[in-house]
This record gives sequence, structure tokens and C-alpha cells, in this order.
Amino acid sequence: MSQRIEKQTVDMRIIGEWVEKQARVLDLGCGRGELLDYLLQTKHVSGVGVDIDFTRIAACVRRGVTAYQGDMMAFLRAFPEKHFDRVILSRTAHELNRPAEVILEALRVGRALTVGFVNHGFWKNRLYGLVEGRKLRNSVYTTEWAESRPANPLSIADFEDFCHTKGIRITRRVHLLGDWKTPCPAFPNLLAGYALYDLAR
Amino acid sequence: MTDDVDLPPAGDSAPRHLAPGDVGLVQPHDFVHAHPFTFKSGQTLPGFTLRYETYGALSATRDNAVLICHALSGDHHCAGWHAPSDRRPGWWNNLIGPGKAVDTGRFFVICANVLGGCQGSTGPSSIDPATGRPYGSSFPFVTIRDMVHAQKLLLDHLGIAEVHAAIGGSMGGMTALLSAIEFPGLVRRVVAMATTARESTQAIAFNEVGRQAIMQDPAWNRGDYPREGGPRVGLAIARMMAHITYVSDASMDRKFGRRKKDTAAADAYTFDPQFEVEGYLRHQAQSFINRFDANSYLYISRALDQFDLAQAYGSLEQAFAPVQAESLVVGFASDWLFPPGQNREVVLALLRAGKRASYAELATDLGHDSFLLESDELYGLIRGFLEREAVAFDFAI
Repeated sequence: MSQRIEKQTVDMRIIGEWVEKQARVLDLGCGRGELLDYLLQTKHVSGVGVDIDFTRIAACVRRGVTAYQGDMMAFLRAFPEKHFDRVILSRTAHELNRPAEVILEALRVGRALTVGFVNHGFWKNRLYGLVEGRKLRNSVYTTEWAESRPANPLSIADFEDFCHTKGIRITRRVHLLGDWKTPCPAFPNLLAGYALYDLAR
Repeated sequence: MTDDVDLPPAGDSAPRHLAPGDVGLVQPHDFVHAHPFTFKSGQTLPGFTLRYETYGALSATRDNAVLICHALSGDHHCAGWHAPSDRRPGWWNNLIGPGKAVDTGRFFVICANVLGGCQGSTGPSSIDPATGRPYGSSFPFVTIRDMVHAQKLLLDHLGIAEVHAAIGGSMGGMTALLSAIEFPGLVRRVVAMATTARESTQAIAFNEVGRQAIMQDPAWNRGDYPREGGPRVGLAIARMMAHITYVSDASMDRKFGRRKKDTAAADAYTFDPQFEVEGYLRHQAQSFINRFDANSYLYISRALDQFDLAQAYGSLEQAFAPVQAESLVVGFASDWLFPPGQNREVVLALLRAGKRASYAELATDLGHDSFLLESDELYGLIRGFLEREAVAFDFAI
């Protein structure tokens, strides 16, 4: 359990370093607003989150994070170019309906786009499928198939290919081993459990 | 707003006004502004009265006031009871009271009947001191902005320079938002529900049918009618139609289905009311015409029609530019009068203008009047927004 909580803070640690003070930040798939709350307190950002679920929006409001309940594509389309200094997709990319559209639109309204995701190319995740022959379950993905939200898992290789094809500039990347702490020295698509990217156009 | 707040039956137990969480017996007050007041139209009144109620206690630092803004057919009596024998409490009694979402143990709640209204505030049914007769159609055209400015004078009178929050649904949401625009230093938080930045074409169309029903009633007499008379038939029809726009297909079907009145079997081939929904609408209309003035209905519905922030300020972003408040807008999925999209647009424009704003949406099927809903989700949301500490907006760091 403590490992799980530690893993939840990985985005806070890394993205917290990347976010500029007082930046205007948009968190797509903000959940209960933990990350924005952290950025509000440490970086004094002016932030807003988007999520589809009422209970999560209410949790954001309760903790002082402004949040918008609704579809993120509709939200993005309502803003002019480069309205936000940074858009964040923290462990959301694998749940997007049309990832390419969202990422390109996020790069339109944001000067930078930060994406953090679980690498499904990580050897343990590959092995799980091979050995168990079942939907991935571990300390991060705790629910069984029938209780899980729809997911479109991706790997570091998928993501890098996508950025290359779309001409998206990768300004920063961090690959972490299975502990989500130790930097991954080589072969990230096989050895990294978690990946963070900073993108620009 | 509809009148059918479902109440527990008045049993033999403790009086309802003494129930825990209830503000109990309350009485209205009158604020008399004895100076000329100029409306947006340029027309003037020599002075006006606003009837209002307050619940809870104003803190020594005068910083705990919460302003409640009512809708078209609402009034200043938003919580508590005027007498133990009252059939129902104030219209937002489920939200306001000791320990409730708007906690009167913590906040000093103020609610005033709008300028142009008919529940004690100066409106078309008030006596024009120049003639000794009701103003009628000679009453100045009132706008939401006029209501907001009159309300500000009341707050000045009460010595309240800043309100912790302005809260309202429907027209009350417009009033709350416009208060934060017109008086940026006055409002720290806005809760606007089932509202819009711009009365839609469809809403104007419904308002016009209501007005026509009133004005085509011969008893309207171009607005000149005695206080106890007037276009009761026209006002009743206006109310019946408006009521339908406040609810939804699903909620009406759940409440009435196609059920028939007990007497209906023999009367199938007449135009007497057969279906329960018909009797219900007639009952709604009767209770409404006994408490509402037809001219006030014309004036306030016209004020709604005129409400268009983008047009008034050049754009929505410009309208919201002066706002200092943080806003929470709540939409309701089944509201087809001020649908979720119009509520969302308020928040998107506030965010585009660089303001702090949140949008939440409840999936009720009760239509526009959902904002009056007894919902723990709604209560929790509002309580969370009102009671958390203000976010430090420290750009100096």
C-alpha cells in the first residue's frame, strides 16, 4: 500500500520540478485535484482541472482547486492558442478516447504539454500477460477487468513513435525503473516502469 | 420556480419550525431608500423599498454575509417560517439553516425581494406617491442590473462592504454573477446554478407567450387594474406554461404518469380536467395568482429577456474582466430552460478571462428547478465551496 501511495506522488515530484512558478496550468483528468493542489502550494500556479466525474470535481472544489466537469475535447476547443503555460496529462493518456486529437489540441492551447504514463512495454507488464494471460493487475492497476475503466495501454515506444510522426518536439523525458524512482539507464521500453515527457510544437 | 416543495406531513410531533437545522420563525424587514434611483432605462423613482430577511448573526468583522438571490417568482423569504401555521417554509429552507449547506450558525444570510417584485419591494403594484394609485405600466423598466444596484444599496445600509458569497439559481444566478461584475470588491464567491450569461431565444419565446397570456386578458387593461383584481386568467395561463419549463418530461411522468383524477371516469368526453397533471397545473396557477402581481411578472420576465452579458459589455470575457470573486457554476443535465451548455459557457468565459471558476453538473431528471433539489451531493458541493479557506492568490512571490 505504501508503495502505491509513493507511486501516486511520482508526477508531483517530477512535474513539480518542471512547472514554472505562477504558471497557468491545465490538468486534464485531474481526478480529486491532488496534483493541482500540490502545484498550487509549491508553485503558486493558477490551475484548473478537467474531469468527467461529479464526485471528483466536488473533491477539487472542497480543497480549493478550480475544476470543470465535462468533456476535455470540448473544454480545449473553448480556449485560444497558448492560453495555458502548461497542460498536464498525468496518468490519463491511456484512458483517452482519441489520444492523438487530445494531445494535438492540448499542444494548441498550451505552450507545453506534460504527459506521464505507465509503460506497458515494461518487462514485468509484458511477462504478466505472457504468464497470467489476464488483464494486468498490480499495485497500480488494482481492479479486475470487470471493475476497470476502459483503457488503451501504451508503451514508451508507441509514444515516441507518435511524437515523431506528428512532428511533436520532446523537450524533456524521464524514464524510471519499476520502482518509479530510479532513473532508467538504458532500453527504456523494456526496463522503465514509468515515463514522463515534456512536449512542445 | 415551482411551489411544490414536498414537505413531510404536519404530524403531531414537534412543530416543524422548531426542527433541528431550521432557522425557525423569521420576519421580514423593510429597507427604505429615500433618495431618487435612476434605472438603466434612464427612468427614475423618487425612492424605493426592498423587503428582506436575514438569518444568523453578522460577525464583529462583518465578513460572514451570504447573499441569496431569488428567481423570477421567488422572494425574500428563503428560509424559516413566518408563523407556525405556515403550510411551507421559505423556498430554500432545505439549503439554509443551522448546520445546513449554507450554515446560519456560521453565515449571516441576507435575501431581498428584487426591485420590481411584488412581495414587499417596490414594483408596479406599489402605490405611486404622485398619483396615489399603483404604478402599473408607468413603473420604470427594470433590468437585472437595476436589481443588483438596488440590492447594493441595501447592503450599504446594512454596513456590509463585502459578502462571503452571492448564491442564486436561474435569475438568481444572473443576479449573483452580475453583482460580482458590477461590484467586484463586494463579492468574494459566487454560486450560480441553472443559469445563463444570456437569456436564450427559446427562453425569450416562452416569456413572450406568458406575457401575451397576461396582456390579452381584458382585465389587464394596459396594466391599469386595482390591487386585488387584474388579469388573473392570463397570469394563471402564464404560470401553467412557465411551470412546464421548470420541470421535465421524466419528472412529470414520474409524478403523474397518465393517471386520471378520481372523477374522470364519467367525464372522459369533456374538457374538464381528467388527468392529474391538469389538476396539478391548475392548482399551481391558483396558488400563484394569489401571491403574484401580473405586472411584476411582465417586468421581471422582460428583465430576463434583456439579460445578455456579452452584448452589454462587448464580450463575455470583457464582462467578466473586473470580477474578483471565485465562481462555482452548477448545471443540471435535465434543465432544458437554461441547459448545461449555457452554464458551462459562463465558466469557460470566466476561465478565458483568467478568473477562478469551477463547473459541476448533476444528473438529476427534475429539469430547471433541480437547483432546489434535496441532494446531499449538491449540499456537499456548496458547503465545500463556501467553507474552505480562500485560496491565497499571491502573485507577488
